[in-house]
Amino acid sequence: MKEMLVLYDPNCGLCCRVKDWLLGQRKYVDLLFVPANSEEAWYRFPQLNHARTLAELTVITERGAVYRGPKAWLMCLWALGDYRAWSFRLASPELLPTAKQVIGMISQNRTKLEGVGKMLLKTDEKRAKT
Amino acid sequence: MNTNWIVTTYLVYLAISIVLTIWVARTLHKNGRVFLVDVFHGNEQLADSVNHLLVVGFYLINLGYVSLALQIGYRVDTSQTSIEALSYKVGMVLLVLGGMHFVNLYVFSRMRRRSTLYDAPPPVAPDEFTAVREH
Repeated sequence: MKEMLVLYDPNCGLCCRVKDWLLGQRKYVDLLFVPANSEEAWYRFPQLNHARTLAELTVITERGAVYRGPKAWLMCLWALGDYRAWSFRLASPELLPTAKQVIGMISQNRTKLEGVGKMLLKTDEKRAKT
Repeated sequence: MNTNWIVTTYLVYLAISIVLTIWVARTLHKNGRVFLVDVFHGNEQLADSVNHLLVVGFYLINLGYVSLALQIGYRVDTSQTSIEALSYKVGMVLLVLGGMHFVNLYVFSRMRRRSTLYDAPPPVAPDEFTAVREH
């Protein structure tokens, strides 16, 4: 696998910050970011339920395998050179339920969590300034 | 008589240390190869090259230590002091060799883990499949 498509919510500040962070990481698999429900997304995946991609993060591989929500997050970790081991740890039967809960909570409150994201994950613009 | 004792001690120390270093390096070289071939996906040439480089580093560090630790700072004029000095020096060399050996094992296992991670399939199964339009 060479690359995966990440459908993210462009109107969510936290998501954009996470995206910037992901872009800056070393990768085993390239991540292409496409705004959810955008023209490009519709063009690439004509049969996909696009309404769902607005509600939760979606990752789609070159072959069309669709991962939603917590699974999509794990796939993003799996793509990273420094965090692949973590994707397996979190996907283990002992940790998966907790991981799903935490990720679900973050997703649901993503607009409220923007402030936290601002603090933890600096975007490129901010980095350039400091 | 004095000089004879100390020179003999030095020579015996060097002989033991060098033989030990060679023995450990050869063991590492022989048994590390299988490991590296696996790490580099059967690319034997690359495995042999990395193996060789590792062993060279191993030799350099160990012989460097052996050489630095040669000097005995007190009088050695009896068989007793000679044997005591020798056992202390050789003991230190053995500990350094052991330490280096474990560092090497750690490097091998790290390389192997990295390569198995690199090949690892996704941690979760997909939810569904969708058609992808080529562009």
